[in-house]
Amino acid sequence: MIRAIIIDDERLARNELKKLLLDFPEIEVIAEAANAVEGIEKIDSLNPDLIFLDIQMPGKTGFDMLSELERAPNVIFTTAYDEYALKAFEVNALDYLLKPVEPKRLADALQKLQIEEDKEPLSDHPISVNRSILNEHDQVFVKDGERCWFVKLSDIRLFESVGNYAKVYFGPNKPLILKSLNALEERLDEKVFFRANRKHIVNLRLIEKIEPYFNGGLLLEMKGGEKIEVSRRQTVKFKEMMSL
Amino acid sequence: MENPRFDPSRTTSGPLIPRMTKNGSRYYWWCQIGGWGTLALLLVLNSTTLEQKLTHKDVEIMLITVLTGILVTHVFREVIRSSGWALLSVEKAIPKFLLGIVLVCIADGLIRIGLADALGLSSMKAEFMTRLLTLTADTGVVIVPWTLIYYLFHYIQISSKQQLDTFKLEALVKELELKTIKAHINPHFIFNALNSIRALIDENPARARTAITELSNILRSSMQAEKLETVTFEKELNIVKDYLALEHIRFEDRLQVEYEIDEDTLDQPIPPMMLQTLVENAIKHGISRQVEGGKVRIVSDFKDDYHELVILNTGVLNGNRNSDGFGLASTKNRLQLLFGQKANFDIREVNDNTVEARVLIPVDMSK
Repeated sequence: MIRAIIIDDERLARNELKKLLLDFPEIEVIAEAANAVEGIEKIDSLNPDLIFLDIQMPGKTGFDMLSELERAPNVIFTTAYDEYALKAFEVNALDYLLKPVEPKRLADALQKLQIEEDKEPLSDHPISVNRSILNEHDQVFVKDGERCWFVKLSDIRLFESVGNYAKVYFGPNKPLILKSLNALEERLDEKVFFRANRKHIVNLRLIEKIEPYFNGGLLLEMKGGEKIEVSRRQTVKFKEMMSL
Repeated sequence: MENPRFDPSRTTSGPLIPRMTKNGSRYYWWCQIGGWGTLALLLVLNSTTLEQKLTHKDVEIMLITVLTGILVTHVFREVIRSSGWALLSVEKAIPKFLLGIVLVCIADGLIRIGLADALGLSSMKAEFMTRLLTLTADTGVVIVPWTLIYYLFHYIQISSKQQLDTFKLEALVKELELKTIKAHINPHFIFNALNSIRALIDENPARARTAITELSNILRSSMQAEKLETVTFEKELNIVKDYLALEHIRFEDRLQVEYEIDEDTLDQPIPPMMLQTLVENAIKHGISRQVEGGKVRIVSDFKDDYHELVILNTGVLNGNRNSDGFGLASTKNRLQLLFGQKANFDIREVNDNTVEARVLIPVDMSK
């Protein structure tokens, strides 16, 4: 059973979608929200597997709402004709439905979702683990200007502190998110993400090379070619962890 | 859309030069022949009145003066043309032209001395420098007006061409803006309305039926809008009522609508789809951004000699209006194109979270 939340500011649009979803017994609509603030509340309290998300809503847009979430659930966007949103979808290959929704397109979108879940069954997530710690299979929604991405934490090789922001390195991209490195460190799984120094958190699984450095420190070369120095203090910790 | 700024440097340097050579050449030669011919005539008249007879020497000196004059000014013109001095601004052109004038005068003086000596016309009394100075100054009297005429001719030609280009461009922009605004009906609205209607079919079939009629009315009038210059306010108001009824299905309690219409204004002409566009903006930038929704109020009344239309909506003016800033600017253009400069449009934030858009159309008393 896939537990879903519908977020749309129009009651009729939500009703219409619920009606369409009656043909898909595997989807259970557990809640509805009429704006981004309500949406965030319900996502945090109910932890759904999937959300249907309208882009244009009063207050915050759907994109803004997602980038505020610690961990992004699976999302299917819904929108009437909206040039700005359509452009975002084209650029980022996000899955979206145009209102009025065609039942066939809805079936395709759900199908795609299920294939992805088969690859990584939801049950894999250890439910007993404290939910505030992000698993490496978790994805985050990152928005930088017009571009946005769903990124698996396991694909992020490096967080770099830039003032109040953190630069997130994955693939060829390095967008900025409004989060401090300290806040990130608290939420990240310390078995995977390691604070190398004051300015960097590295993904231990995406290190290419380790070299000794001045003062008994280390120099890490990441898969993307970035060279990160490990402070002397953290080197001790790093060696401890790696020697296991 | 940003108002395309007219850039004179781009238009003048490109297409203007070839035209100048083609058309200007004829004028140039007529002026040269006319100007120097007049000078020759004056010289001849001068000699005859002073000395009562025209000697060979006088004619030769006259010919030398005129021919060297034509030669040096023609070379000067080639220099001006190849280096584009006529296209420069006045401040930049003056030093260049002054230097050019001095050089041309000296060159002319030198040639005239050389020719006079070779033909044995000079009296050999004066020193070389004195002769040169005299002749240079003598030439200057002719070259300075020549240069002024040359420069002024081009200056006037270029600026009138620039003005023409500016007008053409403005007219084009206006035409494009009008076309765009006339064709404008927001697709986001259409698809949202269709989606609401689909949901209504089960929930409230009667309302769904009227909604389809309302949507048809709007689509039909937006298509007809391209053919008409003006419609009566009554007709436009009916469209707006249909439109707001549809938006009410979507927004439900979040949208309240109030009308305050003076019945006598119903026959007044207004541009088609204009009120509709303004109300649509009030929804798009006002109501739809408010979590709690808000109110749209439409007021139509006579004020002095004007028909005044006011659209008030809950919300704030956002500073960043790239897309609709274009719509607002062209609303004013369109009004003034149809009803003259007295017509006006403005939009501003009035007290407590309300935006007011106001249209003023002068009332035609003759009707």
